[in-house]
Amino acid sequence: MTSLWLKISAALPPNEEQFPLTFSDKVPLSVVEMLKLARKQLYGNTTSASQILNAQIIVDYSWERLNMGTWRDVDKEWRRVYSYGCLFKAVALCRENPLEEEILQAIRTCDMALLMGAAIMENLLQVIVCILQTGIRKLAKEEDNSENIEAKKRRIASPHVGLIKEDLSVPRIKCPSLESFSANHLLPLKPVILEGIIDHWPAFNKHPWSIEYLRSVAGCRTVPVEVGSRYTDEDWSQTLLTVNEFIDKYILNKVGVSESGHKAVGYLAQHQLFDQIPELKEDIRIPDYCCLGEGDEDDITVNAWFGPQGTVSPLHQDPQQNFLAQVVGSKYIRLYSPEDTAKLYPHDSQLLHNTSQVEVENPDAERFPEFVKAPYQECVLQPGDVLFIPVKHWHYVRSLEVSFSVSFWWS
Amino acid sequence: MRWFGFGFNAFTQTYVQEKSGEEDSCSSEREVKVSVPVELHSHALRGRISASWSRTASLFLDQDQCVYLAGFCASISSGSSGPVTVDTSGCKDAIISETHLSLAFPDRIESWDLQSKNEAPSWRMEINTQSENSDLKLPLVPGGYISSKSPVFHSLSSHLQAKSLALGGEHAVLLTVAGAVYTWGQGSHGQLGHGGLVPEEEPRTVEALWGMSMRSVAAGGWHSICIGDGGDLYVWGWNESGQLGLPSRGLRKTSQQKTDPQEAFLTEPPSKVSTCLGEELHEEVFISIQAFPALVDVSPPCEIRTVSCGSRHTAAVTTTGCLYTWGWGEYGQLGHQTTTSLDEPQCVEFFSSQNLHVVDVVCGPWNTFTAAVKKEVH
Repeated sequence: MTSLWLKISAALPPNEEQFPLTFSDKVPLSVVEMLKLARKQLYGNTTSASQILNAQIIVDYSWERLNMGTWRDVDKEWRRVYSYGCLFKAVALCRENPLEEEILQAIRTCDMALLMGAAIMENLLQVIVCILQTGIRKLAKEEDNSENIEAKKRRIASPHVGLIKEDLSVPRIKCPSLESFSANHLLPLKPVILEGIIDHWPAFNKHPWSIEYLRSVAGCRTVPVEVGSRYTDEDWSQTLLTVNEFIDKYILNKVGVSESGHKAVGYLAQHQLFDQIPELKEDIRIPDYCCLGEGDEDDITVNAWFGPQGTVSPLHQDPQQNFLAQVVGSKYIRLYSPEDTAKLYPHDSQLLHNTSQVEVENPDAERFPEFVKAPYQECVLQPGDVLFIPVKHWHYVRSLEVSFSVSFWWS
Repeated sequence: MRWFGFGFNAFTQTYVQEKSGEEDSCSSEREVKVSVPVELHSHALRGRISASWSRTASLFLDQDQCVYLAGFCASISSGSSGPVTVDTSGCKDAIISETHLSLAFPDRIESWDLQSKNEAPSWRMEINTQSENSDLKLPLVPGGYISSKSPVFHSLSSHLQAKSLALGGEHAVLLTVAGAVYTWGQGSHGQLGHGGLVPEEEPRTVEALWGMSMRSVAAGGWHSICIGDGGDLYVWGWNESGQLGLPSRGLRKTSQQKTDPQEAFLTEPPSKVSTCLGEELHEEVFISIQAFPALVDVSPPCEIRTVSCGSRHTAAVTTTGCLYTWGWGEYGQLGHQTTTSLDEPQCVEFFSSQNLHVVDVVCGPWNTFTAAVKKEVH
């Protein structure tokens, strides 16, 4: 285990003098003092326990600052302080021959910084967490029923035939040229399913995505999980779990039923997983068609959507163009044009004005009489498919089985 | 009156160590987290205490009315604990924040920037030496109130007839002479008590308390408390560490696993908003945000005399001289000899075991200070 410490030491600046700690005057001197103390201890001889204590003080104080004001308003300086606190803590945990539990705690700490903090010292936390992952034994292979849950290219016979009405189905096209996609779909803002454009992804070939593979690459990493039937529900909440815990509890349903006696749905949704876990980023590619947009490649938001059967995203619209790529499993998707927004009864509140009040597959005809008159298109998205959802187009998504999709938001 | 302190002490602001040259055999952990009350000063004094995260300001009203600053080496004080090197004679009230020390004199209010060496206060206001203003407690000042962030002075309508004001992390709770409660500021954690999560720019009355007369208010990081005329306690706001004294899911989880409690609270769901405590449910109800005032039972039943809030904990003194604390306890700020957080009010045994009758409590963000007197022998 000391080789772990050697690798971590090598990633850190060689001495105190070369360890940067500058902050704007938004950060009180008392906090800067704690940070300097932590830096001094890092290169000194103090006990691991003392270092963890000091780091935790920094983490606790900056965590409180991060919870003030809206997320957008939080000063980037406090996110940096939080990251420094997590860095000092993670490193201290691994100092003295850490046990696996301590390494896992250090990984969790790094993940908290990656999720809530701001990048510091040239993304040092990302480097550290990769080193820490090498210190964890690979989990023994289990005989869970995950053999079927693997990324395969499109099956020939779709088991969901009959679910889609032919005249309402989203058109499909195989590997269109940039020009024809632009002329026939992008500019007129018409949804379409692109086939064959992600067949080359390593996620289908070199590293087929499966439960096993995800565990090995990201099992001990902490991710945000949405719990509850849909985000418009009263009992919807967000929590943090490791990927292993999420898979056990919500994909494989190994853990016992929830307190209320029925199975809750958990969804790893709308999370920039590929920024957090670079190894997974290598398995996907940004669709070429995104170059038709005005923004930079850096401005494209890539999100992971990984969950069991039955996850529901209520009918809503997004302010950017979207390519929704299906990698594992299948999803039922319904699309409504923005022209018909009035028939979709969006919520009044500022928070949910981009979300419809209607339960698409069980609409309340009394409260929402116009809804049934709104024209729509629908589809079952299969592995290898990419659905183009034009900007502001309303969409409703329900997973038909364990599913992993990747979305690309671009402009 | 004797003052005691417990809780966060990384800047040695919670107690003044005896300069006896004793070997420091204590672990650094015990020093930083003082979980049993420690007496602050070597002699009993009538005074006021105000605490920020890294400092404690003690104002002694009997003596030369000096303000003593303990804790993080302030630019304007000579050492880690000692009198502030500004003229504070005649000072009748003092409050401290992480960045500023505000002092009230009979003829003026001053605010000093603790982060720079200044000969003069960074803000100052003259006041008429009329008796009607003489009992205003900081942060209330004639015509309004002061805060440590710019702008310092905020006016308050005289219609409100402010009696006392508690400033929380990003909200304010005002008590009027008539016993009504107004709140304003950020509301994302239910701390305004109006039933929603939206902010309020102007003071808005807490309608749920309409018709009941309140005698005292307090505000923490994201929670608010008030005491009714009959001594009952009303709470609202964030309950992530049990600071409302209502069942908190996060506390039950962490008793089972060794994860950091704060990891469970990446974002607060807007859905877990509770309207009132009296709901009938088949399973245990956990409250993470209480958006309307709820009544908290302290058992055995008693009348609350005064209450104070830290960042994420609460401390209340009963008319019978007991101190109850609950909420976040990670730094020993609950005084129960542990660093566990509690979601139910618990009596601080130390004071009864020492035959002390608690009369006042003031919380810093992560620590607690109490004033107590020896119990009368009947």
